[in-house]
Amino acid sequence: MRRSQLIRRLLATTLPAALVVGSATSTAVADPMLARNMSSFGMPGGIDTPTAETLPDGTLGGTLSYSDFARRANVTFQAMPGLTTVLRYSRIEGIPDGDDDYISDRSFDLQYQIVDEQGWRPAVAVGLRDFLGTGVYSGEYIVATKNITPTIRASAGLGWGTLAGKNRVIDTQDTGGKPNVDDWFSGGAKPFGSISWQVNDKLSLVAEYSNDNYLASYSDGRTYRQGDTEPDSNINLAAYYRLGRAYEVGVYTIGGETFGAQFSVALNPREAPYPSGLEKAPAPVRPRPSPAADPEGWSGSWSQDPTAQPAIQKALGDALADEGQILESMALSSRRAEVRIRNQRYVNQSEAIGRTARLMTRALPPSVETFVITSTADGIPTSSVTLSRSDVERLENTEAGRIAAASTISDPELRPVGLVRSEDIYPRFRWAIKPYLDLGVFSAADGLTHEVGAEARATYEISPGLELTGALRQRVFGDVFQRGPGIPGQNREYYTPEEYLADPSLETTPEGVPRVRSDTRMYTGNHDPVIPELTLAWYTKPTENVYTRVTAGLLERAYGGVSAEVLWKPAASPFGFGAEINRVRKRDFDQLFSFRDYEVTMGHVSAYYEFAQGFTAQVDVGKYLAGDKGATVSLTREFANGWQIGAYATKTDLSDEEFGEGSFDKGISLSIPLAWATGQPSRERVQTTLRSLSRDGGAQLNVNGRLYDRVRDSQSVKLYQGWGRFWR
Amino acid sequence: MKPARKIALLVAALATLGACSNGTADEGDLGPLGALASVAGDVVASRGSRGDETPAAPPKSPAEAAVEALRVNPAPLIQAGFESLGRTQVMAMTGQNGAMRTYMTPAEEALILRNGMLIGTRGLGHDLSVAEPQTETLIRSGRSGNGKRVMRYFSGDGLERPLQFDCSVGAGPNPGVMVEDCTGHGLSFQNSYMGQGGQIAVSRQWIGPTLGYVTIQTLRP
Repeated sequence: MRRSQLIRRLLATTLPAALVVGSATSTAVADPMLARNMSSFGMPGGIDTPTAETLPDGTLGGTLSYSDFARRANVTFQAMPGLTTVLRYSRIEGIPDGDDDYISDRSFDLQYQIVDEQGWRPAVAVGLRDFLGTGVYSGEYIVATKNITPTIRASAGLGWGTLAGKNRVIDTQDTGGKPNVDDWFSGGAKPFGSISWQVNDKLSLVAEYSNDNYLASYSDGRTYRQGDTEPDSNINLAAYYRLGRAYEVGVYTIGGETFGAQFSVALNPREAPYPSGLEKAPAPVRPRPSPAADPEGWSGSWSQDPTAQPAIQKALGDALADEGQILESMALSSRRAEVRIRNQRYVNQSEAIGRTARLMTRALPPSVETFVITSTADGIPTSSVTLSRSDVERLENTEAGRIAAASTISDPELRPVGLVRSEDIYPRFRWAIKPYLDLGVFSAADGLTHEVGAEARATYEISPGLELTGALRQRVFGDVFQRGPGIPGQNREYYTPEEYLADPSLETTPEGVPRVRSDTRMYTGNHDPVIPELTLAWYTKPTENVYTRVTAGLLERAYGGVSAEVLWKPAASPFGFGAEINRVRKRDFDQLFSFRDYEVTMGHVSAYYEFAQGFTAQVDVGKYLAGDKGATVSLTREFANGWQIGAYATKTDLSDEEFGEGSFDKGISLSIPLAWATGQPSRERVQTTLRSLSRDGGAQLNVNGRLYDRVRDSQSVKLYQGWGRFWR
Repeated sequence: MKPARKIALLVAALATLGACSNGTADEGDLGPLGALASVAGDVVASRGSRGDETPAAPPKSPAEAAVEALRVNPAPLIQAGFESLGRTQVMAMTGQNGAMRTYMTPAEEALILRNGMLIGTRGLGHDLSVAEPQTETLIRSGRSGNGKRVMRYFSGDGLERPLQFDCSVGAGPNPGVMVEDCTGHGLSFQNSYMGQGGQIAVSRQWIGPTLGYVTIQTLRP
């Protein structure tokens, strides 16, 4: 990265003097108009109607709302200032579906705050509710919100669709999943509004006027009433009570006769319990003695002594081990030292580099002026940060941007002269036995499912980049049982495992698509030990910025074979390009060493780009597990503290009918570092992907160790985004 | 054994039994569940031991702690009272870079001072990354005047963010005490410094919005 760009990026991180303290000290209404309550649809709002409020940028929240009309589980993400997104899973009562008297429905909402409140002008937002396909909740709105007094806030808007009490007719032939632009803002509008009164810090009361009449109409003429009775008035009332900073409970009425209850949680990545972490203070810089006090050390003549480097390397390696770093190797001359480290403790690579630099000032003789700190991804070097020792001494404990400006980042040398591997690092054997918990969070038809058991996992690193990994799992209890895929044309009816095993033709759908993921439940519910993974992986770096991976063995729960990948990613570039090819065979459902008949060669080419402000984009084009061809686009927002929230969509050449409900595959991925929540330094993460039910179109192979995420942690964009922790 | 203590031991036992490996927690072998269990075990265990009704020895008073530290530790020492944490601790110098000194507690929490002036903290969870007080020369020379003070903190999203304060320096009510009054961002705080031959011997300084004030006394310069 060019220097000026670097400085600009750093300035961008330090300029907004946003309040580290804001909400704790200023009780008055903060500048952007922030939501007081969440609506039952998971948006800033009254009860059923929206308001023009927003959430603090980056907020991730969940709202569970329960009434006779529906149970709704909403996941809310403030993707950008002003842009609020909601993914909703609903159980809508009163609409027959098979033997049941309810349907399970998934829907997406978007709301954008066009202007914030300023002076006499109210905040104004426009929103789309349930906008992918025609859904039960489809509606659009434009709404304005204004503070009348410091405690009373009023909203008024115009709604279309359900918000106007004119529910859209649902096309029974539609497989859903695509925006139905023709319907938007059509069919006549009606006004709605709400008033909220903040009684005190905890309690707020809301009254609203809503037009929703809770009907659902289908193109084949059926019309159903959601719940038991139509709301007998347009007035809804609610009381919300805040518990701590993150939680809120509420009760509400829809009309006069239907009551509901609600629970919300909102996590703001900016509000960590221990923002600076609880890790121990780093060892301080040790400045060099004057040349008069240590003439031999300054002359560099010590480097002629063959015992010098082993002794220094041992001492530095031990000190780094205390900091959770492995000193993989070191090259030492009288003027320059390069260390290659593996960071095992800190979320931000800059913190590992900063601590290493300080330890180097304590371990190296005074003549060594140039420090090169090379980060490795499990032994494969990914970037080199070069610092002058004088700068480290001069700038200790100053604003992090100053040492950033004095550093350079480059691709590591392929074969540096004099690089000596530390003793006793390889071969390296690690094992662990740990509990596991598999949660099926939002499988619409099944509700929340779980499985608990024990997993033993071992890794044997034979040499840098050559790893043998195996895992063994034993289920203990859970409510995920083995079953076949759904019977085509019948809702919530599934083949039994016996039926599915007895008839091999069932492994292809009636549309002729091989079942590559839709029979994933056949792999669950095993009461015997299973082998989720058993692989030999080989990572190398043939040129300065090309990385390769070959993985062979039982790659994942359902597939085994060989996977090969190549990635071009210079350390100082926001661009990356890669390609992957896999030859895999479907594993047997007992997840041991036998295979089924289905075999496929698939793969893709990928382009990656890291934007400013932590946005990264990835495009994959290629062939998926079922042999379908298409592309995946993913967009991820990543915070310096390690939070990652992303969305992806895959469209392949399968027709909507072949693909099934939803037309194309899409989902949301979340990953939160444990260190953010506990303050304890750790690279451990809690992560999950919310996606549509397992379908066969656009299915990707789940091989571990893909190169891009391994490599970019220590490369320019991500490294400098988290650079603020250098002097930690 | 008190119930709380029993639970603490139980949780700690669960954490160790529930997940075990040949490596350290660093290596990420435990998984989020295992790591969380071990953190919870630590927290509960430390709570349990703090709440123990029959401690092995009565806690030392700050004065006794100071005397003992001076006896066993030859390094420069300070005594720091963290008001919001409700504890007073002896801290020993672990490094010196020019005029900048790093003092640490036995648990490796650090205060970074420049000739007695607080310029950073480490390991306290809501640390001050760095303070850039333009009022420093006024305070040291005992003159009145105004200056800016920039205090940099990590926000929860992982960025270092500056807060800027406007400060006025003047003599305090007691002889030899300089007082620095600062306001900004809806906050205000007052630092006081008692000098001794150009050095700051005793001071009460503001770390930040969450940690509040620390009182620093030089035991051995």
